[in-house]
Amino acid sequence: MAAAWIERVTGSLEDKKRWRQYKARKDQLPAAYRTAIDGLERYLTYAGAIVKGDVLMQMMEDLADLVEGAAADGTPIRDVVGDDPVEFAEMFIANYSDGQWINKERARLVETIDRAAGEEPSTGSDHGSR
Amino acid sequence: MSKQMTEMLKGTLEGIVLAVLATRSAYGYEITARLREEGFSDIAEGTVYALLVRIEQRGLVDVEKVPSEKGPPRKVYSLNPKGSAYLEEFWLNWSFLAAHIDRLRQQVHPQNDHPQDEGE
Repeated sequence: MAAAWIERVTGSLEDKKRWRQYKARKDQLPAAYRTAIDGLERYLTYAGAIVKGDVLMQMMEDLADLVEGAAADGTPIRDVVGDDPVEFAEMFIANYSDGQWINKERARLVETIDRAAGEEPSTGSDHGSR
Repeated sequence: MSKQMTEMLKGTLEGIVLAVLATRSAYGYEITARLREEGFSDIAEGTVYALLVRIEQRGLVDVEKVPSEKGPPRKVYSLNPKGSAYLEEFWLNWSFLAAHIDRLRQQVHPQNDHPQDEGE
């Protein structure tokens, strides 16, 4: 792709376009819903630590779908987010875990333990083999 | 909703939502409304939405986008064969859990023959 070299410098142009569209959708929301989505966006950004741009944008678009829909239906914010907004946000983030920074470390831990288990001497007690 | 109830629901809500969809296809808000009717009165719409995102990602439902008069297009969710198979597995696991937990409870309260009838 011709634009590939420049995107290495600027980041994905497609993701930037999606971000601008997301911001425009937010601007259309009634004030209370905008306050809520800003708060959720902030938490999801910090707690999500998502390093893949396309996954991050998918998360924000899914969030916008939820909040826009609620605003259109007149669903109260408390009914959308529930008594515990953090609980909701964490559950929401879990759907995008393959884009998280920590995912690389998760894979590394699994691989290391696989290796460690493989290094175990196979003689002696038969723990683990049933 | 108590913290304990929230934690318990976390592991089972996926199966509960699939069970709702097994009777018929539905919009997200219909699923939330249905769950409230069924007694899950404190369930947040966002919680159900997050679950629907998950089961869609995992290919357990088919999704049709329907334009809406107000707001974004709404998704109609239907259980597909993969979702049905997953729901069957959920029922098996649920029966296993319920039976084994009940057996533990019988050991603690052996005099109670119908432990599931109390505490409502």
